[in-house]
Amino acid sequence: MSTAQIRFATLWRREVNRFMKIKKQTLGAPLLETFLYISVFGAALGSRIDKLHGIDYVVFVIPGLIMMAWSINAFTNNSSSILQQKFQGAIQDQLSSPASPLELLLAFSLGGFMRGLIVAVLTFVASSFLVDLPVDHILVLVPSLFLVGFFFSQLGVLIGVRAEQFDDVAFAQTFILTPLIFLGGVFYSAELLPEPYETLTHFNPIYYMINLVRYGFVGFTEVSIALSLLALTAATAVLFAINLRLFSAGYKLRA
Amino acid sequence: MSEPALHIEDLAKRYPTGVEALRGVSLDIVPGELFGLLGPNGAGKSTLIHCTTGLAQPTAGSIEVFGNDAIDDYAEARQAVGLAPQEPNLDWFLTVAETLDYHAGYFGMAKRERRERTDELLETFSLTEKRDERTRTLSGGMKRRLILARALMHRPRLLILDEPTAGVDVELRLELWHYVQKINQEGTTILLTTHYLEEAEQLCDRIAFIAEGQIVARGTSAEVAARFGVSSLEDAYLALVGRKELSRSHAELEVAP
Repeated sequence: MSTAQIRFATLWRREVNRFMKIKKQTLGAPLLETFLYISVFGAALGSRIDKLHGIDYVVFVIPGLIMMAWSINAFTNNSSSILQQKFQGAIQDQLSSPASPLELLLAFSLGGFMRGLIVAVLTFVASSFLVDLPVDHILVLVPSLFLVGFFFSQLGVLIGVRAEQFDDVAFAQTFILTPLIFLGGVFYSAELLPEPYETLTHFNPIYYMINLVRYGFVGFTEVSIALSLLALTAATAVLFAINLRLFSAGYKLRA
Repeated sequence: MSEPALHIEDLAKRYPTGVEALRGVSLDIVPGELFGLLGPNGAGKSTLIHCTTGLAQPTAGSIEVFGNDAIDDYAEARQAVGLAPQEPNLDWFLTVAETLDYHAGYFGMAKRERRERTDELLETFSLTEKRDERTRTLSGGMKRRLILARALMHRPRLLILDEPTAGVDVELRLELWHYVQKINQEGTTILLTTHYLEEAEQLCDRIAFIAEGQIVARGTSAEVAARFGVSSLEDAYLALVGRKELSRSHAELEVAP
């Protein structure tokens, strides 16, 4: 391995190691939470709702829950890891190393991406034991999930860099991210909503992400897949560019 | 003639708050030197160190470490620098051994070399028994030792010690100074800030006084003292901060019958 490869592998390993040290909190808790959603909305309520657009309600809900698990974990991991290391001053060790802004940004991003990936894969595997979960369009599903994971990793980095106290991270998650995800159609189809809520849902970017993932699993969508993929790719690229600029300028990282 | 270990020219740093921490600092440290940077709190010592190590962005000026740019194209320069900061900045999640291992990884050291160097430095700094303990469980003195060990992990040619003995007991302070002298004799260039003037006088080849973001005197301790018209570095420092009345020689004269 070259010096640069060792450096990047170490930066990435450190981020993964951080959440693996507190697995009960970082992997166990989100898994339990997802299963509570599946139990309550899928099994309990689902038995009354029967089918949505010809799909069993529990099967309709699970793709959104997998996307939600990946996105929230990617976001939470990166925002809290960066803020915590800024708070302790520990981030100075990476910042005073020969690592470039790009290496630092990618390593921080991939920490949360990995945590989201692990939770999402475990949720998928466990769900497959409970219900017959199809994968209809794997060529849409895999890039969609990876883009969603990377988008929220970037969002977590952005909030973590900008945050000055833990309240800032909690605010972004509780008052912005969680409502957008819940109102994005994880548990329902936007077409069933009365106006103006149906139209308003179309202004929620997470609605398109959920539809992409749901299409990948069960083949049902309410939006254009090509357009949604394009928009998600563009949004992820813009966020990445913003973060790279912040890391290069040392915004709220260097004095 | 070899490149200076550290060459700083017209370095300025203005913080977003408007504070001018450095105002045109120029400094050369020759390879193998043990150089002391002294001055009151807020004089600009830590800012100068942060600019050199990439923790602060200079507003103007240039910094070179062994001839390599340390501001824009900084990879080579950073590779040559080890920093032991004033404030303990350890990650509470990591163990003692992980702290050293990760640091070495950032500098591209291969696995076997990292393991051997970690064992060597844990032994040197009497931390072997603590290797698997999380850093938050360490005492203040142990944290200081670990920070110094971390700075040395990648075998830097220029070691920057920002008040390394602040708040440590006498025994550890002497232990650290002995080690610092040893690695200096082995060829490592050292930039040191400290408030222990007598020790700076004994340890350092040359000294610079910094006040209000400017270097106001430099040279051997005798030259710096002469610059202020006094006989010791301590008296020169007191003259610098405008507190000559605290001079021990002044007090001795006053109590003499």
